[in-house]
Amino acid sequence: MKKLVALVLAAVMLLSLTSVFADAAEEKITLTLWDIATESDANRPAYNAALAYIAEKYPNIEIKEVSTENQQYKIDIAAAMADPSTLPDIFFTWSGAFLGDFVEEGNVYALNDVYANLETKDSLPEVMLANGTFGGKSYAVPLTMNIVAMFANMDLLAKAGWDKVPETYEELTKCCDDLVAAGITPFGCSGKETWCVTEYLEPIMEKFVGAETLGNIFNHVEGATWADADIKASVDAFQDMIKKGYFDANGMSLGNDEVKANFIAGKYAFYQNGTWNCGEVNKAGENFKVALFPVMNAERATYKQVIGGPSDSLAVSAHSPNAELAAKIAFELGKEICHAGYLAGSGLPAWTPDYDTSEVLPLVNDVAAIVAEAEGMVLFGDTAMGGEDKDKYLAYVDQVYSCELDGQSFMDGLAGDLW
Amino acid sequence: MTTLLMNRNAKIKASTGEKRPVTVGSVLTYIGLLFWAFVSIFPVYWMLTFSLKNNAEIYGENVIGLPRYWLFSNYENAMRVGNISRYFVNSTLVAGSTIIIVLIAAFMATYAMTRLVWKGRKMMNKFFMLGLTIPIHASVVPIYIILARLQWLDTYGAIIIPYSAFSLSMGILICNGFMSDIPYDLDEAAFLDGCGVWGIFFRVITPLMMPAVATVGIYTFLQCWNELMFANVFIKSPEIRTLPVGIQALCGQYTTEWGPIGAALSIATIPTLLVYVFLSKRIQDSFIAGAVKG
Amino acid sequence: MKKTFSYKMNIFLFLLPALLLFIGVLIAPIFLSAYYGFMNKKGAGGAETWIGFANYTEIFTSTSLGFGKALGNSLLLALFSVGIQLPLALVLALKLGKGVRGERGFLSVYFMPVLISTVVIGQLWLKIYNPDYGILNQFLRSIGLGDWLNQKIGVWGTRAAWLSKTNPLALAACFVPILWQYVGYHMLLMYAGVKSVPKDLLEAAQLDGCTEGQVNRFIIIPYIKPILKVSVIFAVTGSLKSFDLIYVLMGQDKNPCDVPSTLMIRMLFSAKRYGMGSAIAVMLILLCFAFALLINIVFKDKEVR
Repeated sequence: MKKLVALVLAAVMLLSLTSVFADAAEEKITLTLWDIATESDANRPAYNAALAYIAEKYPNIEIKEVSTENQQYKIDIAAAMADPSTLPDIFFTWSGAFLGDFVEEGNVYALNDVYANLETKDSLPEVMLANGTFGGKSYAVPLTMNIVAMFANMDLLAKAGWDKVPETYEELTKCCDDLVAAGITPFGCSGKETWCVTEYLEPIMEKFVGAETLGNIFNHVEGATWADADIKASVDAFQDMIKKGYFDANGMSLGNDEVKANFIAGKYAFYQNGTWNCGEVNKAGENFKVALFPVMNAERATYKQVIGGPSDSLAVSAHSPNAELAAKIAFELGKEICHAGYLAGSGLPAWTPDYDTSEVLPLVNDVAAIVAEAEGMVLFGDTAMGGEDKDKYLAYVDQVYSCELDGQSFMDGLAGDLW
Repeated sequence: MTTLLMNRNAKIKASTGEKRPVTVGSVLTYIGLLFWAFVSIFPVYWMLTFSLKNNAEIYGENVIGLPRYWLFSNYENAMRVGNISRYFVNSTLVAGSTIIIVLIAAFMATYAMTRLVWKGRKMMNKFFMLGLTIPIHASVVPIYIILARLQWLDTYGAIIIPYSAFSLSMGILICNGFMSDIPYDLDEAAFLDGCGVWGIFFRVITPLMMPAVATVGIYTFLQCWNELMFANVFIKSPEIRTLPVGIQALCGQYTTEWGPIGAALSIATIPTLLVYVFLSKRIQDSFIAGAVKG
Repeated sequence: MKKTFSYKMNIFLFLLPALLLFIGVLIAPIFLSAYYGFMNKKGAGGAETWIGFANYTEIFTSTSLGFGKALGNSLLLALFSVGIQLPLALVLALKLGKGVRGERGFLSVYFMPVLISTVVIGQLWLKIYNPDYGILNQFLRSIGLGDWLNQKIGVWGTRAAWLSKTNPLALAACFVPILWQYVGYHMLLMYAGVKSVPKDLLEAAQLDGCTEGQVNRFIIIPYIKPILKVSVIFAVTGSLKSFDLIYVLMGQDKNPCDVPSTLMIRMLFSAKRYGMGSAIAVMLILLCFAFALLINIVFKDKEVR
């Protein structure tokens, strides 16, 4: 009998164990927030500042934050959509099709009403909501906006006899040849994370076919097609650079963090990636500049066309019991994260600044200048496309970097598999 | 048992009059064995040493030697930023609960299949053995959906229950071996003394199954101590995270500083190694029992 | 007495906890997967439409999906596992099992890697393979193979980047830690088998003047055949199931070292094709059962002869 009692006790203990941790009952309203601002993320300080602001302004609201590393986050959020009741009240998302898929499943709360009554509405121009708008309804609170920039290490360029960032393709190849001759690797790009390859390929494509055409292709606008001779040409040009030895061969087996660290440590002359890196690069020294990839086909593209746009966003679960409140908090959080992130160099503000901006990092100011004069902006391809389309596209991009596919087969393949 | 074997060995040697001469063959054998021992142990040695070095040493100054400065600060960093101690407690808690559940379920089921008389008990045993071949990753999404319906996600239960289920087949297999060795006369004697099936289970069988507890326990422990996929998907809150998830996250944060990564990897490994040093025979036996008795 | 022992209620109660766990967590999900496998389900919460065997047709015909390649990789791993790992384990077990100085020490050292978490092993080998600072390349450079490492492979890239998608040796580089980790496990099983061979059998053979090779071949190996069978089953199904190490070493994106499990995870969580992911899961389960059955038959055949 004693044994039986012990057994029962053990079972009860186990059950209570699981339930105790499940519901820590609180008087306050608890909102859950999932994001990707882990300890090492450039945005962490911005989130801390924003959360502190909310905690002070709304003492009756407790925000339970869970931060997950980027790649894992995509898995987690997709898994949570399997049973929407497990979604957090507020979650980080990329706008475009990534969010669109969730909207289609009916899991995202439309923000139009809350936005219409927002006190801070004036500092959020409606155009900033465009990437998160589906069927006339808006679903995303934008945080920062970012573009793809070519970061350049001026010290290394100087060693190869260059005192400015090349602005034409001829200059760029000349500069790369000089760098190689001086024993310096021109570019670093992670081959392990395919999105890093798109940061190279997409600007090249844009500088061939022009912003409008590329945007139409990415967004699958009626009549747009991958079967474009300049798409083929851009892949060939990219691979030409690879074959000339402009890229670090070891990058093929490195992750983006390692490649970025190599660039900051002075191993590569250029690193083309999102402008959310401005803060980190700026911190490493003053010898860095930002520029854009040069024009490849002057008949269709101009230098000031960029890849990027407001993408990092917060969204609210349609199944949240406090959806309206969560939406309000999401807007407040978004504004604060944007504010702190802008000052910390993790991107340009999607919300118009109503604070002192004299402390903004020089690199970020340069990016702001580029964006202010931008003559066309195309949202990142892997954000614009969703689900399986995105996976197919990335699979092709990946084979471009490893040179298994040439321009012709890239173009034909995507035209056949997608549109 | 071992002494008996040794006696026999001695007898064999005595009878053949062989005294193991040092031949070229035996020297080569020894070199081969030592070589594989080196291959087995070297990566772990390297991990333990670089966990105490700085990048300059790891990157070339002193690649394989013992650390020059013994940077225990790497461990401090890993503990502070990584919150490793919390994950450690969680992993222990999860492993402990899983072991208890597996033991209870396996003891009871094995009892039903070895001591009770009914048609189809052989079939039932085979049915449970299917679990040995089912790949754990193939069930991630359905289990997720089931857990979500039960509102169990992000609790300790969300991984304890699946872990228990996936360790159950091996648990039953091991218990089967041990329980069949218990003489059936004992049941009958207890029955004549007035015990029912439950009485026999608790008073006769369970006390005699104590050796199986260690074997099942060790096996189950290693299964859940090291699992990554379920822990990753079913648990969100940092307060409930287990060690493998924590380690994976920490490695992502320190990509370029190898010292703290090495420290984190070592922190996850040292406890198991310590236990292994003291219980190596037991642990090995549990793995043997699992496979051989099948 | 017999009645008490076959009282249905008791039997049911004793089986209940195990059955609940087993059916709830292992069996029900398989049926759920099988069901989703016939669906075109986009996203976890997306609508479901019945599409029959379309997912399975795609698995076998589509080249862009890459299931054939992934399955080929895991079968290759199984082949290496049975062809290299098991023989190595057997040799070690035979040597140790007959008694050498420091037998237990060797045994413990060989078995140690089995106990280390795959995450730790994966991260550790990532560092070992690091192109610039990894211990492998530092070693190869120090013995004068630096030039070989810097050789170009294919269109571009060098041998130094072991885990690069263009490196033909990447697959081998992924296999090495997997094989390395589990040699000790198989060795231990076989060692236990060798130890269980009755001593009088060995004694008799020795008196008959058998050489060591003959003793191994005609006495020990036939005697431990059941254990060899278990090892082969574990090695093959383990290879089919392989996931963690390849996932940690190669990352989450499509790569030439894909195995069915990594493909499945990508279908489920990245492409958000739940139907397809489930179909792959079903294929995996069927393959594991089929191979286990096949190996059983092969070994039975030999036993009869």
